[in-house]
Amino acid sequence: MKTFQPKTSDFTRDWVLVDARDIPLGRLASQVAARLRGKHKPTFTPNMDCGDFVVVVNADQIKLTGRKHDDKMHYWHTGYTGGIKSVTYGQLLENKPEKMLMLAVKRMLPRNKLRKIFLRKLKVYAGAEHPHTAQQPKTIKLVK
Amino acid sequence: MPRSKSASNARRKEQKLFKRAKGFWGKHKNVKKVAKEAVNHALDCSFHDRRTRTREFRTLWIARINAACRLNDISYSVFMHGLKKAGIELNRKALADIAVRDPQGFTGVVDMARKHVA
Repeated sequence: MKTFQPKTSDFTRDWVLVDARDIPLGRLASQVAARLRGKHKPTFTPNMDCGDFVVVVNADQIKLTGRKHDDKMHYWHTGYTGGIKSVTYGQLLENKPEKMLMLAVKRMLPRNKLRKIFLRKLKVYAGAEHPHTAQQPKTIKLVK
Repeated sequence: MPRSKSASNARRKEQKLFKRAKGFWGKHKNVKKVAKEAVNHALDCSFHDRRTRTREFRTLWIARINAACRLNDISYSVFMHGLKKAGIELNRKALADIAVRDPQGFTGVVDMARKHVA
C-alpha cells in the first residue's frame, strides 16, 4: 500500500467567505493560513497547493487584544539612510486593515515558493462588500 | 605466482565512482577528486534521508487523519485515545488511507472510537 499522492486535478478549490468582525487578528490569521494550505482536507499534501480561496470581509473591524492597538509596531525600511519607518497596529488597522491581515497570514505560512501562491488566494476587504459574488463563496465560521 | 599490479583495480574503483556520480553538476561528475567527495556526501545524505522518510510520512499521515477527524467533529488526540481504548490497532498509514479513499468507512471508525471516550 502506497500513501496517497494526489494530482492537481484531485483538488476542488472552494471559495469561502469569512466575516472578520470582532475576531482577534492572530486567531483569524492562523485559521485562514491553514485553510489556504488545505490542512482541513484529508487529501492534504504539503508540497502542493490544495487549499481554498478565502474572502475576508470587515477586516477593518478585526479585534486587537491587550495593548497591541498602541504598543505593537509595524516597521519597514525605505532603503535610504535613516529610512526606518514605523506605525502602530492601531494606525495600521485604521488605514490599511487589508495589509495588516495579509502580513499576519503571510508570516504564518511556510517560507517557501508556495507561499506566494497561497497568498494569491486570499482576498481581504475592509468593508462588508466584496467583488467575488460570481464565485459564490460559502460563508463559514473559522474561529469559534 | 603472477605479479598483480594496481592498474586494473584502480580502474574498476574509478568506474564505480563515476557511475555513482552520474548526473552530478559540473566537475562533480567527471573529476575524480571532486566526484569522490560528492559521492560520499550523496551517500551520506541518502542514508540520512532513508531514516527521516518514515518520520516525515508519519507527520503527513497525522495531518491527514486530523483533517478527516475534524470533518467528523472530533480532534485527532481524542480520536486516537478512543481507538486505543476500543482496541483497534489500525496504524496511522492505514487510517490516512481510509480517510482519503473511503470517507464513510472513516466515519465508521470514528464512531467506534467515539463510543469509548466520554
